Amino acid sequence: MAVRKILCYPDPLLKMVCEPVAELNQACDTLAQDLLDTMLASGHSVGVAAPQIGVSQRMVVVDVSNSKLGRNNNHGQLVMINPEILEQSGQKSMREGCMSVPDYTGNVVRAEEILVQFLDRRGDQQAIRATGFEAVAIQHELDHLDGLLFLDRVSSLKTDLFRRKKR
Amino acid sequence: MNHFALTIIGRDHPGIVARVTKVLFDLGCNIADSSCTILGGQFAMILIISHPRFSTRESFGTAFEPIEQDGLSVFLRTLQAGGEAAPQLPGELCLISVYGSDKPGIVYPVVKELGDRQINITDLNTQLVGSPERPVYVMMIEAILPPGIPLEKLAEVMAQLKDRLQVDISVRDITPVEL
Repeated sequence: MAVRKILCYPDPLLKMVCEPVAELNQACDTLAQDLLDTMLASGHSVGVAAPQIGVSQRMVVVDVSNSKLGRNNNHGQLVMINPEILEQSGQKSMREGCMSVPDYTGNVVRAEEILVQFLDRRGDQQAIRATGFEAVAIQHELDHLDGLLFLDRVSSLKTDLFRRKKR
Repeated sequence: MNHFALTIIGRDHPGIVARVTKVLFDLGCNIADSSCTILGGQFAMILIISHPRFSTRESFGTAFEPIEQDGLSVFLRTLQAGGEAAPQLPGELCLISVYGSDKPGIVYPVVKELGDRQINITDLNTQLVGSPERPVYVMMIEAILPPGIPLEKLAEVMAQLKDRLQVDISVRDITPVEL
């Protein structure tokens, strides 16, 4: 159990594709706890991915239940091991920021609703349908497992809703 | 290290950014923050630049002259120490959309309400859209609400303006989500 330091870009680990978790052993459980402790300790955070604390393994934690945007629509505290998005639909744009990319935010369009499959902390297969902010948070954290930062997904510069329209 | 603000504007065509940044590259300048965009038919570049040895505008010599001969206007300003660092303003980020049939006097009444309340504008752009017969004016403002002013209060102020100016105005929180 420990609060770990969040790595910041340009740490090369953040751009690597993570390895699947091969076996749910003690080390794996410790990693889950470290992720939860780190998420909790960083106050405003609603999710942390293993590579953000220096472990290149496919595990994330997400909890939007304490945030204004996710309070009324969430699955509580989630530990997701080897997660995979099976279905996605709709579109939702949010201005995202990331603890690993301080001082920069950008508009990102993500699916509004996702069906995501994963192993929970006990090793049981789970599938949940997440929507809204929780869906956005999960997609953001899962991107970390593929070495993608929100910077790779910024969809528009600032507020230029109308700018691309030719007159 | 001294920083400078460089503004360049001219009739838009491909190659302006390459032309300008080649000059900066050859001089050995660093580009820090920059914002470049099309406004009307013009391409406008605003850059904060620095150079390890340059301390005044004179240091640049005649480096920008060829760009000016190409029809671009160049303006260089020396920043005072610290002028390159962004201020850390506390508060919630909000977006104000203002739009309606084009008519004189839309921008000032809106931003006056913000200025009067010390609401800092961090980004503002306006654009004339729609058809020539029925032009529509669109203004997007990003601003930081100081701790004492809730979004509801700003929405109230804007609602009053909406009636007075006969435009549509909406206000929403766009505080980034940290993930």
